[in-house]
Amino acid sequence: MKFKRGKMLIDPPACASSDIAFTLIIFFLVCAAVQPETGMSQALPKTEEKSEKREQSQNLEVSITPTSIILNGSPLKPDEFATRIAAALKAKSRDTDKIVVVKSAPQTPYPLWLAVSQAIDDAGGILTLELESEKTIQVR
Amino acid sequence: MKLPRKKLTASVPAFAMGDIGFLLLIFFVILARAQDDSHIQWEPARMDDVKMAASPLATVTIDAGFKTYLDGKEIAPQEIAGRLTEILGDSPAGQRNVFLKVHKQSKATHFEPVIAAISEAGGDLIHILEPEGETNSK
Repeated sequence: MKFKRGKMLIDPPACASSDIAFTLIIFFLVCAAVQPETGMSQALPKTEEKSEKREQSQNLEVSITPTSIILNGSPLKPDEFATRIAAALKAKSRDTDKIVVVKSAPQTPYPLWLAVSQAIDDAGGILTLELESEKTIQVR
Repeated sequence: MKLPRKKLTASVPAFAMGDIGFLLLIFFVILARAQDDSHIQWEPARMDDVKMAASPLATVTIDAGFKTYLDGKEIAPQEIAGRLTEILGDSPAGQRNVFLKVHKQSKATHFEPVIAAISEAGGDLIHILEPEGETNSK
């Protein structure tokens, strides 16, 4: 005579499911935190307000518009700018002379501004922003 | 004759520990996300020469709608300098990293006042960019 073998139930223990979820969360958190960020650091001198009266300086001046880059009054193409600014800064030995004043048109796109600032950095220049401040004057 | 009273044991069920841990973790994750800026929609500009950025003390973001955020919270550009000065405190130079995340279609009117504010607060500015060739948007 043969005895029937009873079927064995293999249920995973329910109390372990929360531990599994806990471990999964830790795994995804670690994955999310590890994603590194890349970028470009930029040294900027501390901002200070300057009155309209400016001293006669020997600093280079760069104006950026959406379509052109103007170095000391002469318009240049973006690929030309890097070589011209490097040549202009090579002649300067003092740190104060290496300051490059950058003035941007309001519609200047960010990628173009970045390219100009990187070219100035690479050439050893010290980038300084010239911003126009707005003042509201009430006229009676 | 005195009958001994049966002692009642009040033990915490051990299998509940996993659930308690799980809930605590959810709590801390939500707390951490309050300072997170992953909900902000922006696309980084691309550049050839980018380096790994060190961890920041603060993050300023300009999103696709050209709104400004400081550590994930919306802020007016003119308030950034003051708030950053508080956050950066007396941290020594070189450890005052401020991440600047600018949407690639932003114009000078949007990002220049922010850069000036970071500079005014004495932050070490790091532009967050994508290496040329990668295509994933944030």
